[in-house]
Amino acid sequence: MAMSGAMSGVRHRWPAALALVAALLGLTFGALSSLDYIQHLDRQVHDVHCSYVPGLGAEPSADNACRVAMYSPYAAIFRDRFWGGVPISLFAVGAFGFFAAFALYLLLGGRSAPRRALLFLAVFATTPLLASILMGTISALKLGHFCKTCVGIYVSSALLAVGALAAWVQSRREAAAPPRYGAPPPAPRAGSGAVPPTLIEDPERTAVDREPTFRPDGPFWLVPLWALALGVFASVPALLYVSALPSYTNYLGSCGKLEKPAETTGALIHVPPARGAVQPATLFVDPLCPTCKALHQRLATEGVMDKLDLTVVLFPLDSDCNWMLDRAVHPGSCLVSKAILCSDHRAMQVLEWAYDRQDDILTAARAGAGLANVHAMIRERWPGLETCMESKETKLRLDHMLRYIINNHLQVSTPQMFLGETRLCDEDTDMGLSYTVRRLAPLTRSSQ
Amino acid sequence: MKHAGILGLAAGCALLTATALGVQSQVDRAAVRLKTGAVDADKPKVAIANDADAPYCTPAFKTVLERVLHACGLTGTDARRGCQPADVKSLAQISDDDFNALFTPLKSRGAVILFDDGSEKLDDAGRKVIEDLWTDRRGARYFFVVARASKTGTPDFNRALSHKRANSVLFLLSDKFKEPDLDKQVGLLWLGNEFAQLGKDYCDWNVSRGKQKCSAEAINRSAFVSWVDCQL
Repeated sequence: MAMSGAMSGVRHRWPAALALVAALLGLTFGALSSLDYIQHLDRQVHDVHCSYVPGLGAEPSADNACRVAMYSPYAAIFRDRFWGGVPISLFAVGAFGFFAAFALYLLLGGRSAPRRALLFLAVFATTPLLASILMGTISALKLGHFCKTCVGIYVSSALLAVGALAAWVQSRREAAAPPRYGAPPPAPRAGSGAVPPTLIEDPERTAVDREPTFRPDGPFWLVPLWALALGVFASVPALLYVSALPSYTNYLGSCGKLEKPAETTGALIHVPPARGAVQPATLFVDPLCPTCKALHQRLATEGVMDKLDLTVVLFPLDSDCNWMLDRAVHPGSCLVSKAILCSDHRAMQVLEWAYDRQDDILTAARAGAGLANVHAMIRERWPGLETCMESKETKLRLDHMLRYIINNHLQVSTPQMFLGETRLCDEDTDMGLSYTVRRLAPLTRSSQ
Repeated sequence: MKHAGILGLAAGCALLTATALGVQSQVDRAAVRLKTGAVDADKPKVAIANDADAPYCTPAFKTVLERVLHACGLTGTDARRGCQPADVKSLAQISDDDFNALFTPLKSRGAVILFDDGSEKLDDAGRKVIEDLWTDRRGARYFFVVARASKTGTPDFNRALSHKRANSVLFLLSDKFKEPDLDKQVGLLWLGNEFAQLGKDYCDWNVSRGKQKCSAEAINRSAFVSWVDCQL
């Protein structure tokens, strides 16, 4: 009998225990994600945690899925008001902290914890799951990557929801089941709201099992109080973060200017601007550079691209046409650049195709047939460019682009973005993009 | 448990405090690093875009090149373009053979445009060679035109003739490619018949009329043209 009582105690506490473990796990993943984000507030590049095991897997690589997620516009809110915005993981940290404490209360309280507490948990603990579903969908559809730390948060949210819902279902079953010991409790007095716990003494029951047979409903006023506490928990880390943020004003626009912005041979690609887009911008890109692709996506996703009167300068990091390199960093890039130059009004379409097929093109360029593979890929998708690509005029135009880069004493690095003549620092092209554009490009603000 | 609520509340307060302090301290530390630039040293050095610098750009070659470029107005704000033979002699301060030897490494990059006797008119073959060469610029910063005249005729006549031949090349480039900063790209030298005559071995170069029509005399009725892939 004692054994079965103990088993019963464990059985009805497992949902709370699961919720506690899930919340602590979510708290850990959320804290790691926030820590990575906060580290980057110094505008330097740091390792980013990216592992299913909390705390392991900090990596410096640029294509780390967690870095991709961190640099994406979905990682933070208010990005145009604060440099880097406010990371959403901070809200997760606060919320998981609250749910951990709440689950601990339910675990320790057992049947003495009111039914309303379980209902509250069942309702509010599903919000992290809903947020996770939303973020997971964005990861799959928009980013094309699943960051492991984020997946850790998604799984924690799911487990928390399972624990919370299981606790609620269990309490419903308890309410429906006939009493195991003694008579049912007396009906509550009118207006009292709560059912007093009934303890039926049984000499064979263990301490674990010695708790109310019937769960009280608990006072209703606790529900808004808990909701308020959840709100406080979720917002305090974010509010502290915002209040502690340093000023970035002196750093913006401190990375140089275009010394000779005019190019007289007509070599550069002027993208027809969208209606009302008057902010001049120049983008130096390599069509096979992953960072250029990421910047392009960020500009599009954050709605900046449509507000720019954009000039594109191709800067292929490929020794096939670029004498500044002794080897091809992105083999095939010269060919793709020529295809873009030959595409006239479809230049941006070809550039975006190259970004989309970047991995395939690079793999093909490094395979046995090398550049012939890249030629074939271009021919298949963009027929009719062959003659132009092989012409001396196209070669000369590409040379002129590279010469424009030399005349402006730019770094051999892509991407580089200039708003007007002011260069965006590399540090401002990812986390700080919206904030920097808003401040350095007032013409984009007026059309917002 | 009797005090579950109190324990839960205490745990919540502890977690909230720890989170708040953690966030605050991490942001503060990042702010300090931002101000002091503590990790700036770890940034990799990035090269600055520059002209090509081919192996033939020896110090001796660069010395002459620099003097010629400066004196002929390709560097600085001086609008003058072109150098007379006397200038070149004083600038180069080397023998004719040594002067020509400096240009020998440009064999794969340059060409010799042949002219009729006493004429500065470019023929079709000459035009094609110049146009082909111009479009094969790559990373070169300067395009050199070194015009000569054969020994036939007076020095004054040949000096004027070689000047006209150099200008013929320049005018072709100007008309065909319409590049606005041609002044700062093309360096003209007209050597007449007094300085640095070419030997017949230059007939092995990319000669506009082919090897057959190239003789010891014809090779000096010419304009030597080449991109120069040197950083200065």
